[in-house]
Amino acid sequence: MKKIINDPNQVVSDMLVGMEAVSPEVCYDREGEVIYRRKKIEKVGIVSGGGSGHEPAHAGYVGTGMLDAAVAGNVFASPDPARILKGIERADSGQGVLLVVKNYSGDIMNFEMAADLAAELDIPVRSVIVRDDVAVRESTYSTGRRGIAGTVLVHKIAGAKAEAGGTLEEVAELAQRAADNVRSFGVSLSGCTLPGVGTPGFSIGEGQMELGMGIHGEPGIEQTEMKSAAEIAEIMVEKITEDLDYSGAETAVVVNGLGGTPLMELYILAGEIDRLIRAKHITPVKYLVGNFMTSLEMSGASMSMLRLDEEMKDCLKLPCNTMAWKEG
Amino acid sequence: MGFQITPAEYVDYLILAGEEIEKNGEYVTALDAKTGDGDHWVNLNSGFQKLIAMQKELKEMKLAPMLKKIGMTLMSAIGGSSGVLYGSGYLAASKALKEAEVLDIDTLYTFLQTELTAMMERGKAEPGWKTMIDSLYEAAKAYRAAKETGQGERQIIEAMKRGAEEGRDHTREMEAVKGRASYQANKGVGELDPGAVTMCMQLECLGDFILNHILFED
Repeated sequence: MKKIINDPNQVVSDMLVGMEAVSPEVCYDREGEVIYRRKKIEKVGIVSGGGSGHEPAHAGYVGTGMLDAAVAGNVFASPDPARILKGIERADSGQGVLLVVKNYSGDIMNFEMAADLAAELDIPVRSVIVRDDVAVRESTYSTGRRGIAGTVLVHKIAGAKAEAGGTLEEVAELAQRAADNVRSFGVSLSGCTLPGVGTPGFSIGEGQMELGMGIHGEPGIEQTEMKSAAEIAEIMVEKITEDLDYSGAETAVVVNGLGGTPLMELYILAGEIDRLIRAKHITPVKYLVGNFMTSLEMSGASMSMLRLDEEMKDCLKLPCNTMAWKEG
Repeated sequence: MGFQITPAEYVDYLILAGEEIEKNGEYVTALDAKTGDGDHWVNLNSGFQKLIAMQKELKEMKLAPMLKKIGMTLMSAIGGSSGVLYGSGYLAASKALKEAEVLDIDTLYTFLQTELTAMMERGKAEPGWKTMIDSLYEAAKAYRAAKETGQGERQIIEAMKRGAEEGRDHTREMEAVKGRASYQANKGVGELDPGAVTMCMQLECLGDFILNHILFED
């Protein structure tokens, strides 16, 4: 294992110390492993979080116009309810808090329990669950679709609505609408190494890629031979547009790197995606190209696409100032 | 006169369970690496080590606040999915046993059943889904069956232990519905669920503790 770290067991807190040092907008609550906005504003609070290793998610999205607090778990493990409650308390200005949660069993349980604890403190809490990964088949009993990079668009829209003075009900309703209208699909070219483990959890053979792998290395749909950017774009666009009708829609598109793929490749992929979706009469009005929700040093990329309505479109354009997304 | 586990004695049981978990690190981690992400034992063990380190404080508490403290401690120290499930179980048990001062043949059943219900609700999971719930479910079921058929306390506790072991062993054939194993093509079939294994260890320790230290007079 070659990683720029000090102690494999301290990577999360060491990272959050760094984030606090470089970003004047945020503070680091060491007890709760929470990054929160330095200046509390009278508005609905937005809190997200989850396992670490997906940076800049989620602490990188704390700031004006997005999240008020992000709660970090250990690498690929949900934060516990006590930490999440700290995040809720940091974000609450008396107008309630919206939790944006990615759909994993551990995150769901811990955020729900934190919401129960917050209710005992009379903090109104609503939750939106993001389940954008179309690689996972939905079923009644299983956890179902995972939450991946589409979550970042939900952060932005919910954050903008809250910053503009929306009530908890309004913010939750719009965030839910964003979550309902975003779909994602990813491909992985390599495994990744958890700092505390030291060896890769799995590997993908030379000349191979995996379609639909999760951001913790969960198995995808199939392994196949490595394909060109044009072919990968085609698979992504097909999988996503098969699942939701985007025809005639304006959209926001995230071309997301998983941590080990150069921007050069992401822009090549983005060009192919743009060509394909325009041919389907889809109009991208906002692109994000870069590392927005990663999987340590995994190579690969995902595409997320949000079908916009006027309100969501307006929210996307509103200013935000965070480490990982600046607008306006 | 039936058995009575005082809060201090419950802490003695936790110490034994913690020692048993500590001993089985390699086994549980190897099992977890096959179906999960290999961190179950490390996290659970740190939770129990934390409890052992707090034994003096815990032993001075009354039953309900002690169970709550155990729940909050496990929730934070274990983290992930197991932490919140053990936390929910102990917190619910603390509420259900507000009036109780000791665990006896009746309140121990309330404890097991409440813990089970809380874990199922929190995890939105059912028995048969290849989880820690399977060991607890079969243990509580066997306990109730033995109690309802009028068996003695020793038989009831032995039935609980056997139930836990059967629940654990049945997870080998089950398909995972939740968690990382559920994303695998074979849903983890052929392997024991590590969460069921460590839950069973605790129930076996609890049974043995009662049989060897509490009931030995009769």
